[in-house]
Amino acid sequence: MGNRQAVMEIASLEEIAMLAMEFGRILMECGASANIVDEYVGRAATGLGAERVDLRVGYASLAITVGVGGEGITRMRKVGHLGVNQRLGQAVRGLVRRLENESLTLKATREELSRLVKETPRHPGWVVDLAVGLACASFGRLLEVDWVAFLPVFGAAALGQCVRRQLLHRHVNVFIVATVVAFLASFLAGLAARLAGSETVDKAMVSAVLLLVPGVPLLNAQYDVLGGYPTLGNARAVWVATILVFLAVGVWLGQIALGEGH
Amino acid sequence: MDWFRILHQMFFGGLAAMGFGVLFNMYRHHLLWCGLAGGLALGVRTIGLQLGWSLEAASFAAALSVGSVVTVLQERIGVSRNILDVAGCIPMVPGLFATKAILGFFALTAPVPKNADETLITSVEFFLRVAFTIGAIGTGLAIPSLLLRVLARKR
Repeated sequence: MGNRQAVMEIASLEEIAMLAMEFGRILMECGASANIVDEYVGRAATGLGAERVDLRVGYASLAITVGVGGEGITRMRKVGHLGVNQRLGQAVRGLVRRLENESLTLKATREELSRLVKETPRHPGWVVDLAVGLACASFGRLLEVDWVAFLPVFGAAALGQCVRRQLLHRHVNVFIVATVVAFLASFLAGLAARLAGSETVDKAMVSAVLLLVPGVPLLNAQYDVLGGYPTLGNARAVWVATILVFLAVGVWLGQIALGEGH
Repeated sequence: MDWFRILHQMFFGGLAAMGFGVLFNMYRHHLLWCGLAGGLALGVRTIGLQLGWSLEAASFAAALSVGSVVTVLQERIGVSRNILDVAGCIPMVPGLFATKAILGFFALTAPVPKNADETLITSVEFFLRVAFTIGAIGTGLAIPSLLLRVLARKR
């Protein structure tokens, strides 16, 4: 009898640990900083019945120890590509709050989490392309790109985002994507700006690739270092630096193709 | 004070932040807040630059302003602070300097680099500017939330 009870406790701890880490994995992949992941995984595990929770937040994996009474287990799981998805991140945090306030069962929580992942909407791809084009053209104005280069930057950045979306959908390596998109966007923006008579062709070429600058990981890297997670912060910083180098290679190739710059 | 320039920077800073808000899959009704955060950031930074501050100091003041306002208003707005203040500060990330610094380093490795001394100094200057500006933005954004956490613990 005692043995059976122990088996049930271990099974239940296993479920708590894995579901709590599923919350953490999704939050990481939605662009949350380590502090947020730690807070919400802790709250989810406690809401599911754990008395003690310790989480290790890594760049590519999470490890958790949960305990009830004298029992405790440690589990680990992989984390996928760290993107940004504000709606899903917010919905997952809302579910943690519901778990605390409405005492949801483990099964109901797991089903609701799966539903959120499947059903949380995204903006249509073409809307994102146009929005990113507009953002880069606005960046161009902030960097004193002249008005005649506004539309060239808009068009090249929107097309670059469209190509990035398609390549990432086909699971092409993210660094290769950065170089390809940077080359395409900078070349097209530079060519169109030159044909339009712009005097700020070099700035227009760089403005069109600013969609690739990973702002969220860059700022998360600092949040993590300041928040007491220097290992994760450094891992994010290295990833950002590598993306910037691949981005610069794309712009460099674009400059060679157009005979601009060095 | 060049008010036209300030309004111009605020408008396009807001537009850039909204564009990135769409990329970050923010709700449509939150995009306006995103734009306001971007406008506030660029407004404060441009005023700082016009007062003769360095880019780093102006960026720090702008990020601190955005971080403080978002921290105070986040409950009312219902948007996660993490994403809203990051989206607001995205237009201040010095991507142009970062790209130019790396391109300058590439140019130094050419078989016969042209104006190597000047290129090296310019590239290092851009690199340092990127590092310090990013540091200023990150620190400015983090301070309000870290202070809030300390206050919450005291309560």
